[in-house]
Amino acid sequence: MKSLLTSTVFALLATTATADTITLYTSQPNADAQQTVDAFIAANPDTDVEWVRDGTTKLMARLRAEIEAGNPQPDVLLIADTVTLEGMAQQGLLSAYKSPEAENYDAALYSSEGFYYSTKLITTGLVYNTGVETAPTSWGDLTDAAIKGQIAMPSPLYSGAALIHLATLTGDESLGWDYYEALAANEARAQGGNGGTFKAVASGEKPYGMVVDFLAIRNKADGSPVEFVFPEEGVSYVTEPVAIMASAKNVEGAQKFVDFLISDKGQDLVLEMGYIPARDGMGVPEGFPARENIELMAFDPAEALKNAESNKAKFAELFGAE
Amino acid sequence: MQRATPQNGGSRTEVRLLSAILVVAICLTLAPVLRLFVEGVTDQGSLSLTLMSDVLSQPSTLSALKHSLITAGFGTVVSLVLGSAFAFLVALTDLRAKAALVFCLMIPMMIPPQITALSWTQIMGPSSVLLKTLGIAPPLGSPQPLYSPEGIIFLLGVQHMSIIFLTLRAGLRSIPQDVVEAARISGAKGLRTWWQVVMPLTLPSLAAGTAITFVTALGNFGIPAMLGIPAGYATLPTLVYQKLAGMGTTVLAEVSVLAMLIGAVAVAGILVQRFFQGRQKLHLVGSTSRPLALPLGNARLPVEILLWTIVCTILVLPMFGLIATSLVPAYGVALRLNTVTLDSWHEVLFRQPVTTRAFANSFGLAAGASLALMVICLPLAWRMERRKTRLARLFDSLLDLPYALPGVVLSIAMILLLIKLPFTDATLYGTIWIIFLAYIARFFAVMFRPVQASLKQLDPGMDEAAQSVGASLYRRLRDVILPLSAPAAAAGAILVFLTAFNELTVSALLWSSGTETLGVVIFNLDDSGETAMASALAMTIVFVVMMLMALIQLFSRRFPKGVVPWQT
Repeated sequence: MKSLLTSTVFALLATTATADTITLYTSQPNADAQQTVDAFIAANPDTDVEWVRDGTTKLMARLRAEIEAGNPQPDVLLIADTVTLEGMAQQGLLSAYKSPEAENYDAALYSSEGFYYSTKLITTGLVYNTGVETAPTSWGDLTDAAIKGQIAMPSPLYSGAALIHLATLTGDESLGWDYYEALAANEARAQGGNGGTFKAVASGEKPYGMVVDFLAIRNKADGSPVEFVFPEEGVSYVTEPVAIMASAKNVEGAQKFVDFLISDKGQDLVLEMGYIPARDGMGVPEGFPARENIELMAFDPAEALKNAESNKAKFAELFGAE
Repeated sequence: MQRATPQNGGSRTEVRLLSAILVVAICLTLAPVLRLFVEGVTDQGSLSLTLMSDVLSQPSTLSALKHSLITAGFGTVVSLVLGSAFAFLVALTDLRAKAALVFCLMIPMMIPPQITALSWTQIMGPSSVLLKTLGIAPPLGSPQPLYSPEGIIFLLGVQHMSIIFLTLRAGLRSIPQDVVEAARISGAKGLRTWWQVVMPLTLPSLAAGTAITFVTALGNFGIPAMLGIPAGYATLPTLVYQKLAGMGTTVLAEVSVLAMLIGAVAVAGILVQRFFQGRQKLHLVGSTSRPLALPLGNARLPVEILLWTIVCTILVLPMFGLIATSLVPAYGVALRLNTVTLDSWHEVLFRQPVTTRAFANSFGLAAGASLALMVICLPLAWRMERRKTRLARLFDSLLDLPYALPGVVLSIAMILLLIKLPFTDATLYGTIWIIFLAYIARFFAVMFRPVQASLKQLDPGMDEAAQSVGASLYRRLRDVILPLSAPAAAAGAILVFLTAFNELTVSALLWSSGTETLGVVIFNLDDSGETAMASALAMTIVFVVMMLMALIQLFSRRFPKGVVPWQT
């Protein structure tokens, strides 16, 4: 009886894993993830990709539980932000790999030890509902008393991108924490993630806001009544980095995947999906200003990781969030 | 254990079999909770309570606890008022079109909470496609009235009224007409019959329904997430989510501590319910032959109008919101003749292969879970009612835990527990079985509580009579226990099916490619910005479940009386 049970269980569990398969965890939107995987397989027909797509929070929760239980599944992560990956690198969870493609990238966009490589630039800028009379042009415009109580922004307590945005803006000399104090005084609402913020602006509930670029630009193309603005002071950015797990079972396949993503071909794909490629010398998608006109504000992942908890606490105090 | 007096004639094999079921049930439901507890009180392998006291003393934890108690408590009151009013009126009076009314009342349960919240916000705010189309949308910048504690309470109340309604209705079915007639012959009228005769007899079902509703509301993530997060009003489940979004290394342990806090509140709620319920003991012999139908007289038409207005508000409005959203090309676009498009429906139903797969998975999981739970819960509830050993009592107070925990926490517990099966290299992770086991643990209480309540109403004399004439355990279960508790078991099974069919939070971390559930697909669509496709799929689910219910209706004559809740 017992052996019958065991063999049945094994039969049920038997996976179709071929010799050269990599497992990918990604937080890209569904269609983008499918496109990435398809393109990689087309370029590397011998390697198969099993992938799981979910929101960053859930994917990280799942990964943490797997690590805690001693059995992490993925070989490659294409996920979240450099701060989260910097934290994982410091805990020894990532494997270093020096990709030959790295020379085409700004040094700020990958880890010097080779733990992670940025694949795209997702900037956070200003967004407004086209129903309003005056369009904002700089971060400072959001502190104008005339639009008191009409501003929405993602909360760093819920969104990693928002925490990076906070770290970037408060680290800027001309803005700093004074800016966030002014926002709080102007009754800006900082709750939830980028999705919720975008909906608040698109719906007109809070006609002004800060949000990631592609949400606003894509929806505008589909007819949503919004406009995205790259503010004068520059934009903060997250980069959806790719990294190889220290526990990867198929390191070679994982390295091929990393090389592919940051190669010319992989970056063309990023462009095609409507994001700004991280690699030098690529174009920008439709609806974006030329790359040299996009001012990126300075940002250091290690520093942001160190200050993450104190930044959150300070923010929660300022905005009375709990 | 020392109180376990041997039952007359009860054979040893019967006792052992039933004890075995108890042990299996304990393993299925409490093992994940225990694993989570271990995670919360250890720090890198050694026992440590520092983190626990840290988390519990944070002001954010205390305020989330307060918010959870307020929203779950008042939400339960709203459900209780709405659900019991409907149940009493439908079960006891001569209302017309009862079947249609009950049918409609089941629908709010089928719409996942975050979709309900989504559609209500779409209807009420300045963004409302409905209001924009009608040209009466509030001006830009007006606040969304639902982003408030009152909004959460209201929607929790509406969402869960079917739970009270279904459990109470099952209890009302077993009140014999004779009792009410006896009261009326003795001169009792309308309200007095209700208050002095019907009410005391239905208290066990009412209490059981209230307890499940409270626990459900406490663990609800979708509604406070959609309405509370924008208002800066965190409840315990949303605080768990906030912790998960953090970047630190102690995330899992912090989440476990919060989960235990939620569990403690739930158990406290169950114990309060048991305290009140323990004070009264009334037993009924047999079930009713004819349904009750107290005449409402002149009040009938106004009451009918009122009930149907409520049904329309809680049902038609959110459904209209969903349909409207599914028909526009992008979020925020007004629904007009030139903007209407069926693209989303076409894309999600015919182009995405994952949809069919998700339907098959969710149907199999939901049907499998309700069947398996029925098989486990009927004998188990009976055994625990008859032999109240200490183990049984302890289990009775803890079995709601997996249901009360936020789904995402339960799924973390399942991963920790099952990623490596003991003594083998095998794993259930990545297969559909881990979701199935999680559903069994999660929905155990939903099946068990109504059955338990109906068995509490039964006079143990009936079972003893059958036993004294030599009926075997199987025979007694089949011929005495099953028919008498069938309405409650069916109510439980339907509740399990409906909640599991579009459940989102438990499978959220457990799915993998090929084992997606409907909830996962809806969430992923919404999360990827495809709100229109998510709405189209949610509407499809409502239609499919309605068709299933109609199918049950066709076969209803073959079932024991009272099994199909919307039949009179």
